[in-house]
Amino acid sequence: MLSLRPTHTLALCILLRALLAYWISPSSVSSTAGFLSSSSPLTSWLNLQEGIYLFKRGIDPYSGGVFRHSPLYLSLSSLLPISIFSNPLFCAILFTVADAFAAYALIGIWRLRQGLRLTMESSRDSLLVAIYMLNPCIFIPSLARSTSSLDNACLLGAVMWACEACGSGPGGKSENESVVSSKRSRSKSRSLLLLALRTHLSTDTLILLPPTMMLILSQDPGSRLASPRGFVPGTKNKSTLTTPILVLLAEWFLYWTLLTLLSSLVVGFGSGWMGQTWGASFTLPDLTPNPGVWWYFFTEMFDHFRPFFLMVFSVHLLLYVAPVCIKFQHDPLYAFFILTGILSTFKPYPTLSDPGLFMALWGVFPEVYKYLRHPLVTFLTSLHALLLQPLFAHLWLSHGTGNANFYYATTLVGACSGGLALVDACWAGLRIAVGGVEGVDERGEEKEVVTQQ
Amino acid sequence: MLRTGFFVIFLLLSSVLCLEDTVEEFQEQLSFKSLRDGRVASTFSFKTLLKDATPRDPQTLALDNDDSQHYTLFPLTLGQILRQYAITELHLTLNAGKWNYDSWGYPDEPGVGVGAELWAWMADGSSLSIDERWQGVRNALAGLFCASLGSLDEQRTTSPRLSFPPEGSLPDWGLPHELRHASHASEHVCTENLTPFLKLLPCKSLSGLAALLNPHRLFDADWHGMSLHVLWRPVGIEMRLNFQLVSDPLRISTNKKQDWSFASLFDRVVEKACPVAKSSRVIVDLPTYGVYRVHPEPSEILNGKAYYDLTNSNQVWDIGTMWPVDFEYPLSKPTEALLPFSVRRSLFGSTQDRGQLSIVVTNNQNETLQMLYLETMPWIVQFYLHTIRVHSDDIPSDNLVSNITYVLPVPHARPATFESVLTLPGHSTLTFTMDVAKTFLRYTEHPPDAQRGWDLPPAFLHPSYSHRTDLPTTLVASIHHPYLLI
Repeated sequence: MLSLRPTHTLALCILLRALLAYWISPSSVSSTAGFLSSSSPLTSWLNLQEGIYLFKRGIDPYSGGVFRHSPLYLSLSSLLPISIFSNPLFCAILFTVADAFAAYALIGIWRLRQGLRLTMESSRDSLLVAIYMLNPCIFIPSLARSTSSLDNACLLGAVMWACEACGSGPGGKSENESVVSSKRSRSKSRSLLLLALRTHLSTDTLILLPPTMMLILSQDPGSRLASPRGFVPGTKNKSTLTTPILVLLAEWFLYWTLLTLLSSLVVGFGSGWMGQTWGASFTLPDLTPNPGVWWYFFTEMFDHFRPFFLMVFSVHLLLYVAPVCIKFQHDPLYAFFILTGILSTFKPYPTLSDPGLFMALWGVFPEVYKYLRHPLVTFLTSLHALLLQPLFAHLWLSHGTGNANFYYATTLVGACSGGLALVDACWAGLRIAVGGVEGVDERGEEKEVVTQQ
Repeated sequence: MLRTGFFVIFLLLSSVLCLEDTVEEFQEQLSFKSLRDGRVASTFSFKTLLKDATPRDPQTLALDNDDSQHYTLFPLTLGQILRQYAITELHLTLNAGKWNYDSWGYPDEPGVGVGAELWAWMADGSSLSIDERWQGVRNALAGLFCASLGSLDEQRTTSPRLSFPPEGSLPDWGLPHELRHASHASEHVCTENLTPFLKLLPCKSLSGLAALLNPHRLFDADWHGMSLHVLWRPVGIEMRLNFQLVSDPLRISTNKKQDWSFASLFDRVVEKACPVAKSSRVIVDLPTYGVYRVHPEPSEILNGKAYYDLTNSNQVWDIGTMWPVDFEYPLSKPTEALLPFSVRRSLFGSTQDRGQLSIVVTNNQNETLQMLYLETMPWIVQFYLHTIRVHSDDIPSDNLVSNITYVLPVPHARPATFESVLTLPGHSTLTFTMDVAKTFLRYTEHPPDAQRGWDLPPAFLHPSYSHRTDLPTTLVASIHHPYLLI
């Protein structure tokens, strides 16, 4: 695999994925096989089709029911015939393209982090493509046509362009100064546009905004984990960061407002869609099981305490943003990575795509691997959760021999594995700055372990 | 002195007027029909007419100076409820069992859905909103009938556009009238509902046809149900109390005879007529097959029906039919259909998260039949309209479903209302399928005995779009849907 050229690997994976997506019907992946984890009420393709059907018939899909997708999807539907959304070929192409783009963005992030240009090849490209395209956590939701795959593509694209928009981009010396800066601002705009779009599609993007913006403002996306200093801004004048931050926020807000206006325009100047789409993440109206930790908790919640704990769970997600961004201010990409892990473990409506994204991003940080304390435990716990989740969902919902507690137990194991991975990622990301490996000295020879008798 | 004299005369006059009883009228009727499968359907109907009365104008609700209510025959308890919430038209049915349309035909009273069903027409424009009055009236009726009508809350209330037109007339107050409809399939009728029902009758169960309402026999019947209908026509307010039952004489008889009589069906006979009843009749639908004897001799036979007039009689009545030969159960399917169409409705899917709703309608006629199809479903079962597939005799024909109106369900708050028009070519079978999602519930939202599951409300098929407008609404049997989650 490693000897293959990245383009070949990508082409091979695309072909494989497209064929799989064409031949495997989404229902066999999503429902009957018990893959509750593959799509959530917010990202289900079936719900999207229903929304589009209602919209085309002049019924407001946001007046209730199951449709919780952004109105932007509805605007897409007015351009395309309705039958295309149930066409297996169209869906196969759409989701394979989305995943291929996400895999390309992942390579892009890696190349830019290594100080290469976006078009320059590196030896790790094929591996990264394989990590993304052949990852069951990524391709199962894609086969189930969960729009979370599109969300992931959107997010990785935003990060790739954020890396490209960093202060002193690669090859800055050889090229004309003005060309470089115009290219940089174009990347920045693309990144912010994708971020605004992603905020529309999935509200949890708000949590990923600070590290991504820090990335755009930083000097370069290279790894600084081994030499933590402070935040290294890309601007020459290091004292005035306020203006660039405000400009960045304003640009993002502009795109976001435009998209909001467009959304309201699509549904006829209404604002009812906001509660039905964004509000769902805060009020949890649909308790369909998913690999997250919210659904069971709020199924069993006393009605009296529901608003309070909804607030607690939502605020809990926000709590991590500032500490992680401050601690990893020297490497915003790593802060982004950590926050992805937090979202995949604690967000209200996760799908397998969310842990999948976290897993795939591990590929970009090979420098921390040797500082991990318990990678085997983490790997085995997540494997345990991944294998048992469909099994227990099937036992509970289709076979009728299990119950909700079985499935819930596996989602708890999944959350534990997410937690273990997070803790280890934080540890390794900080430990690398100290240098050396426990038990191994600088020259790579094993130290004698002294134990007291 | 003179004044006192006038007063006495006035009192005398008014009491004479009351005795003449021209303002209120009470009529009772009982009809019997022998059914194909050997069973007997009996329908009690008690009608009270309040002449020249009108429903309360909801605009006067704020004024709090309602007309005084003096009734002699009309039940005061019901009158108070109707006036307090300014109800123009009201229909309440409480049934148990599944009405078998294919072998029993149309019922005399169309509301035969399982469980409780309540619908009312109310005019808007009062200080109290329609929904507040709807809540008030269902709570008041729950108290009056000892039934859990309070559970017909906003999670079960719908306002279908076309399916429940007012049976009477709507007064022209210049106010818009609105419909509220709710049904609850797991609320069954029982003795505790019959006692308040009898209290609404002027003769209670002491005399007249109501004397036959023996709870031991009524609730032993294969199908039984009671209903209350209040409606307004320009002649006055009409209140109808009905009790319908389908008894099986073959089950209770020692031989294999289809014979029935008052004594065998109800274990009672009519010993004296209700003195205030303006008319009191018994109608026996004469079967068109076999040799039988109706006893006693009817006073009149008209259009294949035997009529008995019990008004003001002091005779003991034990009307019945006797058959000399044993009943032979029809083994082959009868060739002649009782209904212009037959329906089957089911929910498929063994998993707890997905399913498929299907109705199969067969048109038994030569002409094309257009019918209104209404589904009201609690939010726990959510429709996927884009998966609607219609097959006519196994040929995909999606154009046979039209005029779709859909009110989306709101989780934890509002049921879904789906109305459409189905077109059935002559002698064809239409299969309508739609995927549904079964919602996951909070632990407090499970019904008691959660392992038993949910009773989903019946659907309604109304052939109102055909040229024959006399066909009543058919209720497709409600589905019992096992639900076990958490």
